[in-house]
Amino acid sequence: MSAFAHHFRVWVASARYSLTRALMFRGDFVIWSLVELFWMGVNLLLVEVIYRHTDSIAGWSRPEMLLLLGTSLLIQRLLMGFFWSGLYDLGRNVRNGHLDFFLAQPGSVMFMVSTRKLDPDGLVNSVVALGLVVYAAGELGLRPSPGQLALYALLVGCGLVIHYSVLMLSTASVFWLTSAQGVEGGYFSLIEFSRMPREAFRGAAEVIFVWLLPVVVVSNAPARVLLHGFEPAWALGLAGFAALWLGLAVIVFHRGLRRYASASS
Amino acid sequence: MLRAAGKYRQAFLLGLQGSLVYRWNFAVRGFFSLFHLAAVFILWGAAFAGREQVGGFDLRQTLTYFTTILFLQFLISAFNEDYQISEEIRQGLINQFLLKPINYFLYRLSIFAAARLVSGALILLPLAVAYPFIHEALSFPSEPWRLAAAVPALFLSALVQFTIAYCFGLMTFWFLEIQGLVVLSMAVEAVLGGQIFPLDLLPPALHAVARFLPFYYQMYFPAAILTGRIGPTETAEGLALQASWVVLLLLLAHALWVRGLRRHTAVGG
Repeated sequence: MSAFAHHFRVWVASARYSLTRALMFRGDFVIWSLVELFWMGVNLLLVEVIYRHTDSIAGWSRPEMLLLLGTSLLIQRLLMGFFWSGLYDLGRNVRNGHLDFFLAQPGSVMFMVSTRKLDPDGLVNSVVALGLVVYAAGELGLRPSPGQLALYALLVGCGLVIHYSVLMLSTASVFWLTSAQGVEGGYFSLIEFSRMPREAFRGAAEVIFVWLLPVVVVSNAPARVLLHGFEPAWALGLAGFAALWLGLAVIVFHRGLRRYASASS
Repeated sequence: MLRAAGKYRQAFLLGLQGSLVYRWNFAVRGFFSLFHLAAVFILWGAAFAGREQVGGFDLRQTLTYFTTILFLQFLISAFNEDYQISEEIRQGLINQFLLKPINYFLYRLSIFAAARLVSGALILLPLAVAYPFIHEALSFPSEPWRLAAAVPALFLSALVQFTIAYCFGLMTFWFLEIQGLVVLSMAVEAVLGGQIFPLDLLPPALHAVARFLPFYYQMYFPAAILTGRIGPTETAEGLALQASWVVLLLLLAHALWVRGLRRHTAVGG
């Protein structure tokens, strides 16, 4: 059996376990789904309030901004659904030595750590985010071709890889700092930029948030596919960023892992 | 009276030591909040492009408002006090306070005050670093009465913040897990407390309703006084409403404590 098939079977088993667990704690599932829905509503409300007083933000109209926001939220919800719980636990597991459990499992440690838990509430809300994208596209009268839709999905996938890598880099700091609390918050500070049009960034902000950190292109690139069709510079740029940041996350995680000394006596 | 004050002074000093252990976490959090400030400056800068005013205020006044909100978040807002109280109830650690001559609310309030003193001081560091880059974008009003009114408003805001967190913590007497409820309420508090956008940008009817809710007095009210978004009449009315909310919340906290203790079962020796 190939390594890919093996890891896929492990992931399916973990996903089945997570879904069973969600069904056991239905109240929790409902509450956390509402929590994510409320926070998405907060972002939506901000856009609506600003557009009560202005017609355009950096040249983007209200429905265009909703399309961008929906795309950003979609990527973020997918991250929450597939990876957040695993990476959140990583910080705690390194501190208390429970990472030993993952080291003893038959597979890539980084894969096991990242995919151990699935959060159905995040995945449910990714459907809501997708609904926002569809609504905004309808408001704009967009009729994307199958090719555009496929490219949009591919770039959302690249965005997910970048988000995952940035979060992994933040969390892996626990190998050096002992506590990643506060540093994890850095991820949430950075994703705020993914909800803004690239044209809003000028000067030093453009250098930092567009070119050095991939936080702006991550949602702008897929949104632009629906708005303007295939733009090679944006699509290839995002794919390149995804490969670069994933590579960096893999290197940093494994360097950190070498420092792990367990905590058991 | 003095002996009682001594007890809470010790709790305050303990809280101070506990918070200083996590000084780096506060500092890192403070520095990352500069990213949030940068995002706010970029977004509102783009929204103001080609316009003098939005909602009756210019760009500098709006950016001053958000910078003030950031400072207040570290100075008066409840961080994870609800979670700490919840854990003490869940793990039975609260039992020790039932056997001692100490008021749990005042004990927790003393620790909260110490933690905010540390985080409020630490946020000055990243703000000082950012100051050379942002000071031209800031414009504070010069009326002295604003500072005089802001002092009681800030004190009452901290009490509103803490008492709401305290009440959420006490919900653990009824529900085993309150974290979901807390994060849910954080979204409501963030919006109606004016942390996401100044509340005066809401439609007038919604703004009028928000004025009568306790969230308005958690953050927006003192920030609005300090940054010139409300006048003297509204400030005076607001202080009265804020004080009323403090009294109501304290009564609610007391009722939850008394009723919660009736449900509480202390196990172990």
